Amino acid sequence: MTVKVRLPRILTQAVRDGLRHEVTGDDVGQVLHGLFEKEPGVRNHLIDEDGRIRTHVLVFVDGERAGLSTPVPDGAEVQVLQAVSGG
Amino acid sequence: MTQIAIGTHKGAYLVEGIDGQWSVEGPLFPGWKVTALGLAPDGTHLAAVGSNWFGVGIQTSGDFRIWEQTESPPGWPEGGGRKMDQVWAFHHDGARLWAGVAEAGLFTSDDHGRTWAPVDGLNEHITRSEWLPGFGGLCAHRILTAGNQAWVGISAVGVFRSDDGGVTWHLKNDGVPPVGVPADVPRPEVGYCVHGLAHDPESPQRIWRQDHAGMFRSRDGGDTWERIESGLPSGFGFVIWRDDNSGRLFTIPLTSDENRVPVDGELRAYVSDDDGDSWLVSGSGWSDAPQYTGVLRGAFDGDNQGRFCFGTTGGKLWLTDDNGSAWQQLEASFPRIDAVRLLR
Repeated sequence: MTVKVRLPRILTQAVRDGLRHEVTGDDVGQVLHGLFEKEPGVRNHLIDEDGRIRTHVLVFVDGERAGLSTPVPDGAEVQVLQAVSGG
Repeated sequence: MTQIAIGTHKGAYLVEGIDGQWSVEGPLFPGWKVTALGLAPDGTHLAAVGSNWFGVGIQTSGDFRIWEQTESPPGWPEGGGRKMDQVWAFHHDGARLWAGVAEAGLFTSDDHGRTWAPVDGLNEHITRSEWLPGFGGLCAHRILTAGNQAWVGISAVGVFRSDDGGVTWHLKNDGVPPVGVPADVPRPEVGYCVHGLAHDPESPQRIWRQDHAGMFRSRDGGDTWERIESGLPSGFGFVIWRDDNSGRLFTIPLTSDENRVPVDGELRAYVSDDDGDSWLVSGSGWSDAPQYTGVLRGAFDGDNQGRFCFGTTGGKLWLTDDNGSAWQQLEASFPRIDAVRLLR
């Protein structure tokens, strides 16, 4: 599947080629893996030391909250957001 | 021209002064904490950035204006149970770059910060299971090197020394009281809350230590420590800085553990010209208005040519260009300042 990935603006400093990418993968984990091959500096900002999506990072597939194993249909949009954590 | 870089809780700033006229560029890395500023052996500028949401990153630059993030900052192995909370300090020994981090550990880089390797002899020290965090977390925040020797300060664990280039490490805290341990209890092996370290590069066994428990000095590479607080209004603080040209020591006393602001609101740098035997207020220019703010361990820098600067937790920048005789505070206000580097 080929999907579009959108990253939050705060990660501008971590990317080489912008905040929007097209990558392939059958689920969110594979999509993020493809993203990290293009933008290796992003990995540490999205994945924690347990190999999970960071606690305060949200991933949506076509507007629905998703996890690493969530399937992604062809042409989907995977959006990464910063959670509203705090007061 | 004076050029000062400031790392704050919300980005970094570049302050330039020409003939008394000051300008500010920034923020760099908007929205990110800039927790440490440093230099690689090849002259590459380094900035450690951090976020409560997105973890840490290492940025590199040749000119302090155009930055590139490295692919992989120092990191703990996945599944190992440790979190990489913050990069606290950079240090280079002319060939190798070191980084101190929280959760506490040391990492080294032989390619000017692009990739990092853990210093296992310290990070997996036999006492590791007994390490406990201080108020600022469990952090390795100060690094000194001289030849094959290295020292690291970890809060609230203590000072470690390596005599074999970082392969093995030994605790060096004799003479310093542990934190929160009654006097009648046997001294623990760890639990010493070092805040800052400085040494004499010409005689590196002479080390000065701003500790949670006061100001201390060692003449034997850390084997033993003696208290040196004559003239200080308080032994508590974070900053210890040695001007390697004059030998002058600088510190900025704060009231106490529970009250981390200047005594009576009088923000002053104190200096010693006798290796810490006695201390007095550094020059003039200090505000008569109350200054209930703090100065953190990474927020003081100097160029060994008489110029020094420091930033406060209240976001003010102070500087002197005459070895501490006259100080001035810039009008500009910044977010909480964690790190300062005097670039030129």
